[in-house]
Amino acid sequence: MGQSLDLFAAASAEGAWTVAEVTRRARAVIEAGLPPLWVRGEIAGFKAWRSGHWYFSLRDKSAQLRCVMFAKQNFMLPAPTDGMQVFVFARPTLYEDKGDFQLTVMELLSTEQGGLWKLAFEKAKAALTKDGLLDPARKRRLPPFPRRIAVVTSPDGAALRDIQAVLARRWPIAELIVVPAQVQGAKAEASVCSALNRISRLPVDVLVVARGGGSVEDLWAFNSERVARAVAAMPMPVISAIGHETDVTLCDLVADLRAPTPSAAAEAATPDRAEVRIKCDVLGQRLARALRIASKHVVERLDRTGDRLVSSIQNRIERSGALLTAHSARLDALSPLRVLGRGYAVARDADGKILKRVAQLPSGKEFRLRVSDGEVDARVQ
Amino acid sequence: MPEFSKQLERLEAIVRRLEAEDLDLDEALKLFEEGVERLRAAREQLAQAELKVKKVLEIESPS
Repeated sequence: MGQSLDLFAAASAEGAWTVAEVTRRARAVIEAGLPPLWVRGEIAGFKAWRSGHWYFSLRDKSAQLRCVMFAKQNFMLPAPTDGMQVFVFARPTLYEDKGDFQLTVMELLSTEQGGLWKLAFEKAKAALTKDGLLDPARKRRLPPFPRRIAVVTSPDGAALRDIQAVLARRWPIAELIVVPAQVQGAKAEASVCSALNRISRLPVDVLVVARGGGSVEDLWAFNSERVARAVAAMPMPVISAIGHETDVTLCDLVADLRAPTPSAAAEAATPDRAEVRIKCDVLGQRLARALRIASKHVVERLDRTGDRLVSSIQNRIERSGALLTAHSARLDALSPLRVLGRGYAVARDADGKILKRVAQLPSGKEFRLRVSDGEVDARVQ
Repeated sequence: MPEFSKQLERLEAIVRRLEAEDLDLDEALKLFEEGVERLRAAREQLAQAELKVKKVLEIESPS
């Protein structure tokens, strides 16, 4: 309820108001009479102080308003630029130190396509693209049978529960390493970066960065260029599951795989145990069959070797037989009996000495004559 | 116990070799025995019932 204002009441003994009293009263009147409201205008003279507070004017063709947006309100927002058309939700007040009428801005939305978020997103995306971090060729393949799976997420969110349930069902062989991080709020960016940094030094096969759905502000940390660069620099493949399927964050874009939900990320990170069991069964069958075939080969080879042995001996025997026949034919041809068979005769004396010349056969000499079928006594006449 | 993927890779390699090569019975038997052992170990790993969960705070130093 508004405070009543008695302009004619003496505020001091001298009958005059002090400056402080006027500003204080005026502020009370303004704050009571003008509740927080939406104001539309163009940003001018924007200035972000080191403290994080933003100072700027909102103006239109005929007027302007001083505005302040404190750090605790703007920490998640990308800074607007002069000339931008915005909506602000603000509390009109009077800044007593300077006696300035001003708006304390609580929310600031750009009226341009997609708003400030879009603008900041595109800017960061362009920087990442320039450095090649969104190149599809950078995407790494996920390990087929991960041993250690790390998850960066809120320690008490549904995302972690979902992931854990999927892993327990599909691939409990793995070890789940949970790296808790603040996934929203002012500290989210630093918290996520520090979690990533910690994991980069652990022997982890695949990393899941997960966060359930939320407003664009809630997902802010995962649109920060710093987080995106940290994700891109991870030594192991990263699966990103941030927000709902329709929210694509920079973290999703630099990750090796983007999953629509934390559960889907866990599925993508793991094989199905039941399928792997079947695969093992098949391998077992192949192993047994391969041994059977291998031993069959050995037996067949043995048989073949035996056959060769037998046939080689047979060959040898046959060859020897042929040789024998040839030799005996030659022997036969040389046999003197063979010559006698052709009608020749051999004359020998009583001592068996062969008589070849006329001088050995004087008249009256007795000798023996060998013909093909026997011997007869003979005498030279 | 060796990593599951290494176990399975080796098993696949053994099966492929047994299937593709004309091996001595001795060597084939040796491979077969190793294959059976790898298969047994893989099945044992697959039988593990519970997911191990660690919070990173418990493992500050890289192992």
